[in-house]
Amino acid sequence: MSPRARARIARRTLFWLLVAVILVYLLLPFYWAVVSALKTEAELIRTPASYWPQRVSFANFESVLGNAAFVRGVLNSAVVASAATLLSLAVGAFAGYALGQLRFRGKTPSLYGILAMTMFPQVAVLAGLYAVIRLLAMPSLLSVTLSYLLFTLPFTVWVLQAFFRGLPASLLQAAQVDGATMMQSFWHVLLPLTAPALVTTGLLAFVKAWNEYLFALTFTVIDRSARTVPVAIALFSGESAYQQPFGEIMAAAVLVTIPLVVLVFAFQRRIVQGLTAGAVKE
Amino acid sequence: MNAVGPDRPPLTGAAPGGRTAAAPSADKRRQLAGREARAAWLLMLPALVVMAVVALYPLGQVVSLSVTDARFATARVERSFVGLENYRRLLSLTMRRLPPVVDPDTGLQELRDGRPRYESWVRVLPREPVRYSAVYEFSAFGSRWVVGATTPAFIRAAVDTVVFTVWSVALETILGMIIALVLSVEFVGRGLLRTAMLLPWAVVTVVSARIWEWMLQPTRVGFFNTLLYDLGLGDGNIGFFQTASMQLPTMIAMDVWKTTPFMALLFLAGLAVIPKELYEAAEIDGAGAVRRFTSITLPLMAPAIAVALIFRTLDALRVFDVFQVVLGGQRYSLASYTQSVLIDQREVGLSSAASVVIFLIILVFAVSYMRMLKVDTR
Repeated sequence: MSPRARARIARRTLFWLLVAVILVYLLLPFYWAVVSALKTEAELIRTPASYWPQRVSFANFESVLGNAAFVRGVLNSAVVASAATLLSLAVGAFAGYALGQLRFRGKTPSLYGILAMTMFPQVAVLAGLYAVIRLLAMPSLLSVTLSYLLFTLPFTVWVLQAFFRGLPASLLQAAQVDGATMMQSFWHVLLPLTAPALVTTGLLAFVKAWNEYLFALTFTVIDRSARTVPVAIALFSGESAYQQPFGEIMAAAVLVTIPLVVLVFAFQRRIVQGLTAGAVKE
Repeated sequence: MNAVGPDRPPLTGAAPGGRTAAAPSADKRRQLAGREARAAWLLMLPALVVMAVVALYPLGQVVSLSVTDARFATARVERSFVGLENYRRLLSLTMRRLPPVVDPDTGLQELRDGRPRYESWVRVLPREPVRYSAVYEFSAFGSRWVVGATTPAFIRAAVDTVVFTVWSVALETILGMIIALVLSVEFVGRGLLRTAMLLPWAVVTVVSARIWEWMLQPTRVGFFNTLLYDLGLGDGNIGFFQTASMQLPTMIAMDVWKTTPFMALLFLAGLAVIPKELYEAAEIDGAGAVRRFTSITLPLMAPAIAVALIFRTLDALRVFDVFQVVLGGQRYSLASYTQSVLIDQREVGLSSAASVVIFLIILVFAVSYMRMLKVDTR
């Protein structure tokens, strides 16, 4: 074997080794969550821990699915995250169209203003938003939804305006020449073209809203029935106050992660494009 | 970043010369431009209203509450104006020298467990008009010093948050770059690795925090204590969250795992725009892999790196979830401290002042990044 071929094989091996190390690093916590969730109570608290379950048991999953707080949390999260996503897509698409395709004075300041909002620390408005919500006496689920627009809306506007800007100007001009109004050309020409962008942006906004914890925790302090799933999992407690039911927590963790795995796998190519379009395209 | 649309002839009156004969008259053009501007503002109106309700008004509220002593009393919010008192409570800092404890018999400094003894900070730090407590003690210039603050928890949270941010962003940049470089190579199973990479980023932070909490249990019930023990490292009882000196490194490790994918994604996008011919040309010129990386990849990726750094730094500075879930009240980040003051202590005024301080800290970071990396000049 020539030295050159040997070097190539060495490089190959090193590369695949690196891929393997990265994979293990990224997936190890998920592996441990699944293994722990499948263990029996007795095996779970045994030292030393076993690297895989001696006897597979679904007891943890059963008890999580029978846990009213968890199921309620999943439902609340689904409602809140979908509502926040749909609202910010509806509102954001209009703004994105205006910022991406139309020309008007005050556009650059508006864009920078919205970018500043994405850099906004959530805590900075926490006390103020809490005061506003107490003042308006809104139902908890609605107030959580509204607060989520703080981060989903700037994000959707910013990403969508980048997509709209990428559409050729000739499309809009042609529609105008044909006598279409600004709104008609938006509805019938541009919006259908951005459908893929809407899906990607919506997915990312949904993930952000689904993951949110600070607002959900703060605004559901009084109203326990409005707790979202991250809050429910954070506050998961067992029968006794001293022993945390980690088997059930891991089962809950696995259950809320599965839909994400499916979504991410289905959309991985689009997510890469969508995330990068808004941020680095310029 | 460029905020101007794709190249179109400007509609407004400033068009260079009356274009061609077919172009609409100046009057018609101005009319069109006016219509376009009106439509644009109308389209942006809903977004502007929402932002005003969820951001501008609450922000104004925070600023105005921060100069009051508002608390959540029973049901009513009572408050009176206190000026900058809340800010003084949060930010008052002092540094004092701790005098050595001298044995009156020998005239030498007393020792305890073989180490020189110093006066306790309780005697040294001022107690009037407000009481200071120790944040840090350290030795320098042959003396022992103590840093005192009126709200030590806030100062400690600020220092912890900045340390957390610097370390995690630095590590994420390096690891993210390695993963992005691997993913930029075409190989069988790239989609699988890409999915695996997106998972930590997509998973609920609270969930990943609890998974890590479980893996890092202080006995061999936990994965890491079992593994390290089996590898002959550690005694199987490492308290990752219980030992003060291990808390921050553990938090950093958890954050790096969770957000390296985000960095890698942005870097991947930056790599994608570099023309392949550049590498080919460089290879023909005899540039090695390292040289190609430092003189082609890095400079051309600078904008992508800048954006990633800004996003991550701002995110890390406002970290909340992991600290609140895993450390509870043991140790705070700036955000979790502010939330705890608001909800546990019900001190709306103080919490608002803390919010404003965080906002200013983040603003300073954001502006200096933009300046340093020249993001906004073009």
